[in-house]
Amino acid sequence: MRLEMLILILGMALVTFLPRFLPMVFLTRWTLPERVKKGLEYFPISILSAIVFPILFFNGEGRMEIQPYHLLSSAPVFLFAWKVKSLWGSVILGMLIYWGLSLLLGH
Amino acid sequence: MDNHQFKDGVKAALPIVLGYLPVGMAFGVLARQAGLTPTEAGLMSLFVYAGASQFLAIDMILRGMAWFPIVIATFFINLRHLLMGSTLSLYFDRNRLRALGLLSAQLTDESFAVAMSNTSKIENRTGYLFGLQITSHIAWITGSVGGALFGGLISHKSYGIPFALPALFICLLVFQIRNVHHLLIMGIAGLSSLAFKWIFPGNWYIILTALLASGIGIFLNSKVQSSKPKSPLTPPSPPLGRGEACPPNLPSPKRLPSARLLEAGFVQAGKFFGRRGWR
Repeated sequence: MRLEMLILILGMALVTFLPRFLPMVFLTRWTLPERVKKGLEYFPISILSAIVFPILFFNGEGRMEIQPYHLLSSAPVFLFAWKVKSLWGSVILGMLIYWGLSLLLGH
Repeated sequence: MDNHQFKDGVKAALPIVLGYLPVGMAFGVLARQAGLTPTEAGLMSLFVYAGASQFLAIDMILRGMAWFPIVIATFFINLRHLLMGSTLSLYFDRNRLRALGLLSAQLTDESFAVAMSNTSKIENRTGYLFGLQITSHIAWITGSVGGALFGGLISHKSYGIPFALPALFICLLVFQIRNVHHLLIMGIAGLSSLAFKWIFPGNWYIILTALLASGIGIFLNSKVQSSKPKSPLTPPSPPLGRGEACPPNLPSPKRLPSARLLEAGFVQAGKFFGRRGWR
């Protein structure tokens, strides 16, 4: 077990545990200001957009380049997630489509 | 702890297990590709237990990033649990901190969604939630270690594994969209993330995008709010006591998780004003 990996795992565990646990302790005692709450509301969608869009338009080396396999697979996943609202269904569907595309077109 | 409640929770977790095993395996395979040992992958699933941020961590490790930016990104990704924790806190006695510590350590989007689909089962019944969550957690760890152990036998380019991570994030992104406003924020965040990534080195584009897009979101929101005529006759929201934390219109399994989170915010506001007492 490498030291840096141990630090990484414990650090991630801490910053994951705190947002899960602290509301249980404090929420009955005080509430967040309205502005902070509004900001938190937009954090997840902003972060997830910032993760998804570069995956579709940047290559593995970090250069801007359209990723056709990812783009073609993401459209049906987007629609499926929207209509069926199943996280795991979307993941499996996305993997199947991507797999099919790479078998058909060669990758 | 009630044995019957625990078994009930284990049963309720089975759909989650079906999902966690393959995705946990995909995590294990990717973790192995990024150079983690099966022990390290298993420990990460044991201690962190947060799918999206574990996948992101692997992605960042593959790009050669150090532990600190990964921890910061994890923090921002998991901030959403603040609201889930808040919602769950409504159903439990706050004085049982040790039990709550264990329960909140195993809180995930999926177990939260299942727990909220029948709130009568979780109200002050730690056994049910514990059964639900420990079963899901074990499935996640089993999948990760299995994937890491047998990951060497599978090429990371086959079975669509390279798309497991993008598909997960696309789906989580779709779950966040509940009105046109959010679609607009998604467009702004998407375009600015491309620009930020093009301009700045490393992974700063994620945090920069989050700050910029949420800032714009707050600004647009305040514009919409102030353009609406205020009615002086709007009655104050009725106070919600601890016991009646779940009015019939609160969490319905059909609604988006984010819609439930917003409602949780309203419940908290109701509690806050209820305690102050409206006069």
